[in-house]
Amino acid sequence: MELTPLLIAALILLGFIVGLMSAMFGVGGGVLMVPFIVLVLGESQHLAEGTSLLVVVPTAVAGVAAHHKRGYVSFRTATAIAVPGVVGAFLGARWALAIDPAALQTAFGIFTVVVAIRILVDGVKTRRAEKVRTSAG
Amino acid sequence: MPMLVLLAGTSQKSAHATSLAAVILIASVGAATYAADGEVSFGLAALIATGSLVGAPLGARMMSGMSESALKIIFGCILLTMGGWLVWS
Repeated sequence: MELTPLLIAALILLGFIVGLMSAMFGVGGGVLMVPFIVLVLGESQHLAEGTSLLVVVPTAVAGVAAHHKRGYVSFRTATAIAVPGVVGAFLGARWALAIDPAALQTAFGIFTVVVAIRILVDGVKTRRAEKVRTSAG
Repeated sequence: MPMLVLLAGTSQKSAHATSLAAVILIASVGAATYAADGEVSFGLAALIATGSLVGAPLGARMMSGMSESALKIIFGCILLTMGGWLVWS
């Protein structure tokens, strides 16, 4: 894949939207990055998942640095979550790499639809609450 | 994160920050496992991360001034389209 100036701009814009959405909705950026890398850039599901995981690292480091200044981070609790998490991440990645990319893409698509439905249901509930607040105020 | 709030009795902000700290290690190991099989594009990751590092703090700031429900519905529709596209393509 050739990195044209237009593609470079599109990727930075994608990152911007991923950062924005992650901060706003608390969802991992993978649900946005993986479909973009597969559908727009035409890369494999495996490469999309590996690349999206790598993007998460500096983004999370920046977030933790900002929260740490305000004393919000409990590193002891984080380690307790991270230890089993790391084992799960390794096993999950090995498992995903063993699955055919096309089948993995379908599974990821179904997962994305489920996340979308959850967010939409949440959005409708929030809208109702906003209307109640508006009419009460 | 909801488990942290419920079980450890921490605040929403502290739970978010702490789970983000755990994500650093978890995502690193996941990415390294894919990279060992050559399934990571470092160039793509660097470009997306650049935009993301600018977008995340702006997103946090913009949260206060916008209709939460409209954003959720728009974002949900985008994801629904992308998910459906992934399944059918």
